[in-house]
Amino acid sequence: MPATDYQGSSAPLTNLGRSLLSLRRDQVHAMESHHDGSSAASLEVELESFQRQVADRFHDLSSVPSDELLSLPWVRKLLDVFLVCQEEFRVILSNNRAQVNRPPMDRLVADFYERSVKALDVCNAIRDGIEQIRQWEKLLEIVLCALGDTSNVNNNSNTNINNGNCYQRTLGEGQFRRAKKALIDLAIGMLDEKDSGQALAHRNRSFGRNNNSGSHSRDHHHRSLGHFRSLSWSVSRSWSAARQLQAIGNNLTAPRGNEVVASNGLAMPVFTMGCVLLFVMWALVAAIPCQDRGLQVHFYIPRQFSWAAPILSLHEKILEESKKRDRKNACGLLREIYQMEKCSRLLGELADSVQFPLNEEKEAEVRQRVKELGHVCEAMKEGLEPLEKQVREVFHRIVRSRTEGLDSLGRHNAE
Amino acid sequence: MEPPENSNKDSNGFEMAEKIILRWDSTASEDARERMIFETDRQEADLYLQAVDEIQRSLSNASISSSSNNNTVSTGGDDQSKVNTTIQIAMARLEDEFRNILLTHTSALETDSLFDPTSSAASTPHAQEFEEDDNSLSHHSTSSNSLLNLQHCESSDSSSYRSTSSIREVDLMPAEAIADLQAIAMRMISSGYLRECIQVYGSVRKSAVDSSFRKLGIEKLSIGDIQRLEWEALESKIRRWIRAAKVCIRILFASEKRLCEQIFECVGTDIDDACFMETVKGPAIQLFNFAEAISISRRSPEKLFKILDLHDALMDLLPDIEAVFDSKSSDSIRVQAAEILSRLAEAARGILSEFENAVLREPSRVPVPGGTIHPLTRYVMNYISLISDYKQTLIELIMSKPSTGSRYSGDPSTPDMEFAELEGKTPLALHLIWIIVILQFNLDGKSKHYRDASLAHLFMMNNVHYIVQKVKGSPELREMIGDDYLRKLTGKFRQSATSYQRATWVNVLYCLRDEGLHVSGGFSSGVSKSALRERFKTFNAMFEDVHRTQATWLIPDAQLREELRISISEKLLPAYRSFLGRFRSHIESGKHPENYIKYSVEDLETAVLDFFEGYPVSQHLRRRSQ
Repeated sequence: MPATDYQGSSAPLTNLGRSLLSLRRDQVHAMESHHDGSSAASLEVELESFQRQVADRFHDLSSVPSDELLSLPWVRKLLDVFLVCQEEFRVILSNNRAQVNRPPMDRLVADFYERSVKALDVCNAIRDGIEQIRQWEKLLEIVLCALGDTSNVNNNSNTNINNGNCYQRTLGEGQFRRAKKALIDLAIGMLDEKDSGQALAHRNRSFGRNNNSGSHSRDHHHRSLGHFRSLSWSVSRSWSAARQLQAIGNNLTAPRGNEVVASNGLAMPVFTMGCVLLFVMWALVAAIPCQDRGLQVHFYIPRQFSWAAPILSLHEKILEESKKRDRKNACGLLREIYQMEKCSRLLGELADSVQFPLNEEKEAEVRQRVKELGHVCEAMKEGLEPLEKQVREVFHRIVRSRTEGLDSLGRHNAE
Repeated sequence: MEPPENSNKDSNGFEMAEKIILRWDSTASEDARERMIFETDRQEADLYLQAVDEIQRSLSNASISSSSNNNTVSTGGDDQSKVNTTIQIAMARLEDEFRNILLTHTSALETDSLFDPTSSAASTPHAQEFEEDDNSLSHHSTSSNSLLNLQHCESSDSSSYRSTSSIREVDLMPAEAIADLQAIAMRMISSGYLRECIQVYGSVRKSAVDSSFRKLGIEKLSIGDIQRLEWEALESKIRRWIRAAKVCIRILFASEKRLCEQIFECVGTDIDDACFMETVKGPAIQLFNFAEAISISRRSPEKLFKILDLHDALMDLLPDIEAVFDSKSSDSIRVQAAEILSRLAEAARGILSEFENAVLREPSRVPVPGGTIHPLTRYVMNYISLISDYKQTLIELIMSKPSTGSRYSGDPSTPDMEFAELEGKTPLALHLIWIIVILQFNLDGKSKHYRDASLAHLFMMNNVHYIVQKVKGSPELREMIGDDYLRKLTGKFRQSATSYQRATWVNVLYCLRDEGLHVSGGFSSGVSKSALRERFKTFNAMFEDVHRTQATWLIPDAQLREELRISISEKLLPAYRSFLGRFRSHIESGKHPENYIKYSVEDLETAVLDFFEGYPVSQHLRRRSQ
């Protein structure tokens, strides 16, 4: 695992973390000329508490059962963690303005703002991705509407559209035709862009849909689904989430001993927040569909940081998830996407195999699948909108803290 | 099969209807797949719609009969299943027809014509033309903005509502197409196919909006892309965005919204909103992403005016954005627009204070040759007269006084400014005065780098005079700065002129004094010839030196130059004339008088005309009146 262990030959890095903090403790006396003793001590408390809080929060995130990892509630919790960390970080910086405006902190903080502004594009891409998932959810609703019973559908409906007309009670060929259409659209929509071409043909076969079915406008429809996806990205075609992550992580290295000392220890939270930013953005890209996803980002985090272990363990778990056979080509590792994909595939296969009239056994099986699909749909409905709002909040907070920081740096330079 | 309890007529109706629907089952026959009903056969389309109605009727009958009559539950179930299948076939067909009608009418022709009137401005990138365009944008003089004069044709009822609102919907589709779409939508929705209907509608219209976007030149740019662009490139993109955004909000989105209303409004509640958002949410986000990226870009002084343009344009659009995105589901769009607006305002404020910092710490130390106007002075004054052009907006945006005051008091690196005497001024005016104060402060520092104190004074005189002229030249600026402060500035450059004269001419004129020439206590005339000769020689040398040097100095303002020369002549010439009058005879009575009295009064008068022209004099000062 290249990302986890940093056993470089550079000796100073091997005993970073705690040792740096204690190194700094030794230097406190030297620093007291800049800082009166009590505030130096309270700064120390502040910094150590920040490190501990970050560690605790990521420990919480990493200790969830494996079936909760990468679920919508988990991703939302991850963003909550980010927002809290970001806020504490902001407070630390604004409590220590004088120090922050001096070298080497001015440079370190400016670097951090550069990193964070790169995360804004990820936020926008994720917002598009959430919109995309919503489109899939709408197709699922059609399936539920076709094969579900009325009450089920109505419970699922959060639109205020007056639409209680999904009245089918028996499952006939008609309902299956309708559901299959939506399932095919869904399958095409969920294909990763890279393999959409060949897999499209495959999908059509596996759904037992004769290739010459449908009118020309239907053909157009299928072509346009791919097109539709490209429409839903608001960034340029050449934008790449993978490259953006790399840019965020560029030169993100633990501060050197002299930087820690010269910054009165403040270099530590800057590095910590840089890692939190990178990891959170990376996890979002892992979970949510977006343009050119790629998870090959390396995390060089010295183990001595108390939060390193939970973050690296999460990183490892998510990477493992992405390497699973059935997830390799997934358009996002979000658990709900996986369930959606699995349920809809099974249901599609079932729909292809059924004979009419339906025997009881088959019908029960279909009902079961539909029920599962209903649960996924429910989870999406509950989670996507708050998630979208949170992503937007992350965007705002990053902008606000950067603006605040740059203003202060600008004013300082003028003095 | 046992006929249900329905009347024969109904049953016949059903069979007929079913026949029509099965005939057009696109999975069943080549012909059904290739031909579109609504496109080719009007009469058949109507029959088809009637058939769907008929089937729907039987469906509700069938479900009633199956639930009310236990005996016929199995046959009823069979029937119901059959009807259901027929409905599915019909709905699949209608969905295809619906899509096809939409597709047939997605030409982006409308946006073509929208952009024609501006294309002349857009395709000839002459700076002037753009400037004009800018002004029209920033001053909201909508009359000169051709975009807004578009599509008047529709609003024959140019009531007050029409004229105050700039929204101009255009017909995206012919009325017949809308009627067909409505007829189909109604049936899809009443059969429970609302979701399919929205899906199809959204996907087709979304790509129509997308192609209009491309025509309008709205690009997909990430924040990173925008940060990497040169500012100049960005400026033209901002200009284009402002034009495009107006078309988007007022015409494109507004028309999409109306189309949704036309098709769906009478079909069910909120369906039009759902379709509208399905169509434009993505495009609207894409549109606003650009302005958002600009609003968070790094703040530097040159960006202020384009940011203000963007701010004003968005401010101007905001009521229309609120009107177009008035539904609950489009909440996020309205919110984003308002957020961007407030970020742009914040950016403008931030840039102004960045600018103040930049003026204060502009570090160039190399003195401008000849003591003329420093490029910084020109830059700053042009900048603040542009600020005064944006007065209307900035008065709203700049709400706090400049960050000077107690914090800086006693700090030698920042000037003082007394706000007490400037009461009643807007914060913006205080900022402008403050900028002039720090400009002078910086210039004062720069003047210290001249080795010649006279030149330092001349430099200050020139620069402050330039500031005064710039302020007087702009009524807006003059009004904000105020006559009191202007008088202060005028006093300041007059003071510099006086200081210059003192620094240069006191020594020269000192040669022309009487003291030291008279030999006291003697019995003769009492004038020391040698002292007098020495005096003339010193005077000549000093004057030649000043003449040679100060001819290369520059006062760019002709009037100021003239005034200063007159002032010099008024002091120099009478003094010299009277000195000559008193002592000429003593020199002329001796040997080689021409070595001592080299210049006549007229010579000096002419020589003064060489001053402050900015070129070295071609020859040494000669006696020209010989």
